[in-house]
Amino acid sequence: MRLLPAERRLEWAGGLIATGLMVEIAVSAWIHPLAFVTFALVACPLVAAGMLFFLWSLVSPR
Amino acid sequence: MSRSDVLLMLLAGVTAALAALVAMRADITRARAGKIFAFGALFLLPALSLAAGYSTQMERAQSTRFCLSCHVMTDYGRTLLIDDPGYLPAAHFQNGRVPRDRACYTCHTDYTMFGGVTSKRRGLRHLYVQYLGTVPPPAQIRLYEPYHNRECLYCHEGARTFEEASPHNSAPELRPEMKANRLSCTSSNCHDIVHDVASLSDVTFWKGVTLP
Repeated sequence: MRLLPAERRLEWAGGLIATGLMVEIAVSAWIHPLAFVTFALVACPLVAAGMLFFLWSLVSPR
Repeated sequence: MSRSDVLLMLLAGVTAALAALVAMRADITRARAGKIFAFGALFLLPALSLAAGYSTQMERAQSTRFCLSCHVMTDYGRTLLIDDPGYLPAAHFQNGRVPRDRACYTCHTDYTMFGGVTSKRRGLRHLYVQYLGTVPPPAQIRLYEPYHNRECLYCHEGARTFEEASPHNSAPELRPEMKANRLSCTSSNCHDIVHDVASLSDVTFWKGVTLP
């Protein structure tokens, strides 16, 4: 099935969020400053970018 | 692993699976129910997962285990076990005057991510030095700023043992000076044996507790 541009953005949003959350899970069992930095500098930006892609898909024309 | 850690992982895992489902089947959002599903999977649940993750990471950053996880801090951790009540951190740790699982944070409340922007930047620099720079010997590590009496007085101010201690009342201006941080508790020939890591080879250790 051919996807609409807004749905392409949803694909990106889902991918980014899933990746970010996998990183969050990976560091959540580790008590170390590197775990904190990985969460803050990798997981958070990935999930936030995914959420922004989702919001973008809402306001973009279908 | 605590129960909240398991819940956090479960929440993040379920959210990641739902987000991946939307990524693989974006066409499901053409229906009204699909749109609502996408809102939950791509906005509500990720926001909740991030907030929970942030809270967990901040809480862990206050733990003694977190602070001592860098090799250079190992000797500072060992000073908590010195068998001599003259060593200030040892006396506090061994007598339960600070929570043992948060021993470092209790006295260093404005350190790295818990301080201002400068402290946060220093925290990142510490990581850089730990992995890519030249780590100084533990005995050469110093606080950036003199230790503030505020940390001591947070618990001791108003306590009878502090207010009525004869050395604290040997002069009328002494306690006001301490409370105004003009007279340091730790560097006025009073409680001045703190983390003396240079003396570790000459001391004995109390076996009654272990480091978290």
